[in-house]
Amino acid sequence: MTVIFQLNGEDCRFDGDPMTPLVDILRQERFLTGTKAVCREGFCGACTVHVDDEAVPSCLKPIGLVQGCAVTTIEGLSSGNQALHPLQANLEAADAVQCGMCFPGMVMSLSAFVRDNPHASRPEIKAAMVGNICRCTGYERIVDAVADRLEQARKAGQSVGGIHV
Amino acid sequence: MAPGVERSFTAASTLEEAMAARRQGAAVLAGGTWMMRDPRRGVDLPEAVVALHRIPALSKVEIEPDHVVIGAAVTHAVLGRALHAAGFEGLLTAAENAANPGIRRVATVGGNLCALDFAAADLPPALLVCEATVELETFEGPKLIGISDFLKDRHALLAEAIVTRIHLRRDLVASAHIRLPLRKAGDYPVAIVSLAVDKDKRCRIAVGSVEPVARRWTALEQAMAADSASAFDPERTAGLALEHNDFQGRDGKEAEGWYRRQVLAPLVKRGVAALLKTGRLV
Ligand code: FES
Ligand code: FES
Repeated sequence: MTVIFQLNGEDCRFDGDPMTPLVDILRQERFLTGTKAVCREGFCGACTVHVDDEAVPSCLKPIGLVQGCAVTTIEGLSSGNQALHPLQANLEAADAVQCGMCFPGMVMSLSAFVRDNPHASRPEIKAAMVGNICRCTGYERIVDAVADRLEQARKAGQSVGGIHV
Repeated sequence: MAPGVERSFTAASTLEEAMAARRQGAAVLAGGTWMMRDPRRGVDLPEAVVALHRIPALSKVEIEPDHVVIGAAVTHAVLGRALHAAGFEGLLTAAENAANPGIRRVATVGGNLCALDFAAADLPPALLVCEATVELETFEGPKLIGISDFLKDRHALLAEAIVTRIHLRRDLVASAHIRLPLRKAGDYPVAIVSLAVDKDKRCRIAVGSVEPVARRWTALEQAMAADSASAFDPERTAGLALEHNDFQGRDGKEAEGWYRRQVLAPLVKRGVAALLKTGRLV
């Protein structure tokens, strides 16, 4: 089956088994290895990408369901030549990253969350992270960084996210 | 799948198209969160699938003054955003707390009801206390069936049908959905107790995740109806739950059967307290 979709803003075509998980196409065919396949069961969140602007696990998304959709991966959030996504900048400033395994998924989940929830409280930030498991950080610095991002955006009176994700 | 055989994938845009694929033997693909894990359970993915996400009528939540209709392709996240109607607090809690946020954006109501081996599904007990009616499209035409019968017979029913909609009467004054995961959130609940109170102040109770298939707790409902003194007293209702516990707990990865059974009375207590907190039982 042929599947046509947008990948990080560019047209993308896949020919093959329509039940192939999106994560495998990203990593093995497109070499976008920022997206991690860890549990492949929807539990860890390391494979999270945006499909039509929604943060979803790519390990459980058959490519057949992606026909006509726009997919954004961590590589599409900010290329090496651009400024970081504001949330990435906050995570860096908070020195939140340790081994980094969970972070691409964490950033994809939370960048959509801050975009949609500019007034989120700390418990709401934590609830949004339920599907992203981190084995290193203890989460608190990540929560701090998200709270900082939201506060800075509110102070600046800007729309959170700064760039379209 | 035999080597060289190409898997068939139909993204149906009408129910007729979906039924035609179904007649040819295609399995229904909803959000994919259950089916995509088939290989990890040692089950091959189906050779032919039909996806329902492009059928507009199946992706709507309609809230009318006396009833609610939920399309089978509605995701948990969409249901959570749409279902703000008094009486459905339990179903709302189920939709907003199942699994994790990423899964809730993908997993559908129909998928949750049709995952035959998914004992810990949140929506079945919540829909049981709503006394929901399940609408199926069968090879012979549309069919309506009560949720209890659907859950009991779904193996046979789904062999030649697609779940299309869920119908709910708006006859509840309050409801609650109490789940016990081992961590605070994100994993499968060990046990689920859903409760609802109708306009005649009758209490309906259903239990999920304890046995392989969710069911109403009729022994407790009858005991509560017969014991007017219990009148939504959390402590006393928990006592009745202990006395009338007729569940056979299933052993599973998260917990053993005895434990699932054991936690039911405390969950009932929490559930009755949640009902009282709505302030609508007076
Ligand atoms: S790899 Fe997809 S959720 Fe863990
Ligand atoms: S930083 Fe190592 S798993 Fe999160």
